[in-house]
Amino acid sequence: MIEIRGLGKSFVGQDGGTVEALHDVDLDVVENEFLTVLGPSGCGKTTLLKCIAGLIPWNEGDIVIDGTPVRGPGPDRSMVFQNFALLPWATVLDNVGFGLRLRGVGRAEREERARSLIDVVGLSGFETKRPHELSGGMQQRVGIARALAVQPSVLLMDEPFGAVDEQTRRLLQEELLSIWEQHRLTVVFITHSMEEAVLLGDRVVLMSARPGRIAEIVPVPLQRPRSNDVGALERSGAYVEITAYLWDRLREMHEEHRPSEVAG
Amino acid sequence: MIALTERSGTGTVPRRRRPDWRRMPVAPLSLLAGAAVWEVVGLLAGVPFFPPLSTVLTRLSKMVSDGLILPSLGDSLVNLALGIAVSLGVGLVTGVAMGRYRRVEAALGVYVYALLTAPSLVFAPIFFSLLGAGRGSIVAVVVMYAMFVIIINTASAIQAVPAQLVEMARSYGASERQLLVSVMLPAAAPMIMAGVRLGVGRAVAGMINGEMFIAVVGLGHVVTEASGRFDGASVLAVLLIIIAVALSAVALVQLVDRKITGWVPSTSRGNP
Ligand SMILES: Nc1ncnc2c1ncn2[C@@H]1O[C@H](COP(=O)(O)OP(=O)(O)OP(=O)(O)O)[C@@H](O)[C@H]1O
Ligand SMILES: [Mg+2]
Repeated sequence: MIEIRGLGKSFVGQDGGTVEALHDVDLDVVENEFLTVLGPSGCGKTTLLKCIAGLIPWNEGDIVIDGTPVRGPGPDRSMVFQNFALLPWATVLDNVGFGLRLRGVGRAEREERARSLIDVVGLSGFETKRPHELSGGMQQRVGIARALAVQPSVLLMDEPFGAVDEQTRRLLQEELLSIWEQHRLTVVFITHSMEEAVLLGDRVVLMSARPGRIAEIVPVPLQRPRSNDVGALERSGAYVEITAYLWDRLREMHEEHRPSEVAG
Repeated sequence: MIALTERSGTGTVPRRRRPDWRRMPVAPLSLLAGAAVWEVVGLLAGVPFFPPLSTVLTRLSKMVSDGLILPSLGDSLVNLALGIAVSLGVGLVTGVAMGRYRRVEAALGVYVYALLTAPSLVFAPIFFSLLGAGRGSIVAVVVMYAMFVIIINTASAIQAVPAQLVEMARSYGASERQLLVSVMLPAAAPMIMAGVRLGVGRAVAGMINGEMFIAVVGLGHVVTEASGRFDGASVLAVLLIIIAVALSAVALVQLVDRKITGWVPSTSRGNP
């Protein structure tokens, strides 16, 4: 469904030098797959996601979604942001309906769909609240509802739970699992947590830095649905084994870079 | 025993009465104090150009009943309203364009900053000779006073819109117009309104200065005549009216501001 071929992206830094953020990235995302992307900081995860979203141009390669090359943002994709990116002046209802409004959906239909998504993310009763009246976890629920309201076939999530506390994060992970199990859509989910990558993903894409490349794609052999007993799943041998493996690989990557850092 | 039951009863312990400074109506008290100082200093000084408040108020009521104030006030308000309308219209559009498009900023920035810092009254003779001794010149002076601070605040406000909100809107396919109307203007509104408040204050100053220079109509004209007659009481009487106009104009802006930016959480506003 998403085909990425030979993707390369360089940024021109402020000093005029170029930073190669992505180098020759090949990736296929299957329809209705939950793909998680894991890698050290600065390895180009956000850059990859923004390219798929059509938010930034790239230098080399192609991204094709359902046979159509990506040329910019499109109605088939929506994005959930790490810092929520909610409109501070708008109510929960208006924030959730924002994408629909931009796409010209009339008020009545917009509010009806927004209300049903608010219900899905468990925020019923908060429709008239503004973001600053909500906790971080609740704000990200609004972000998720807004992304789902436009009925995308691809949901792009950039460390969506990175800015919420541990307990809230666990609740949100379980809820995202059960939403995905019911709604079925393709998800590309970026994280820096091995546990999160394994718990949520069908496959984990391991990226390495400088330049950002795909180091390995690790299938997650845990059965679905997972949302009903996350606790048991986390104690299972397969879960423990695969998170340990991912950490070994990540540590290797960090160590590869350490000598060069010391040497300057 | 008795004390215990009394305390557990309602939980209220009789408090010693102390004056609660936070409850004092600060603004009226400050006005009252100012009026008292004026009266006393005016009485003690005994100079013609600083008569006590009571004399000024008597003169004011006489001027009003002689029909000296209201027609001039009307003229002044029209000058002010026209000047503010032009400043808002041109200022907001220019400010948004400068904030949004680097090339527009590069082209206009130098003029805007130059005219913001130039003493606006130096343009009065130019307008006087170009537009004649009429309302047009006074309105132009008001615009020179008010518009540039509105432009600059609007441009900075647009530039300060969080990039993440713009990116979010773009990810949902927002057009340039949608981006402006649905994201940038609302996000920039608090800072734009701060500029408008400054601009309106300066517009009142511009109105008076313009009217005093191009002395044909309005309150400024009345002031010029009175000071020509060395009539200190009349000058101060009109000054009171001007202050009232300025305060009302700013209060009006604040009312609009509160309507537009009511969403700003109180914790990110200043202390009460
Ligand atoms: N707008 C930009 N201009 C210049 N360089 C950039 C820009 N955006 C990203 N980079 C560089 O590209 C590289 C990849 O950045 P990216 O944000 O994609 O990393 P990331 O994997 O998302 O990191 P993190 O885990 O910290 O979020 C980094 O070296 C970063 O400095
Ligand atoms: Mg990132």
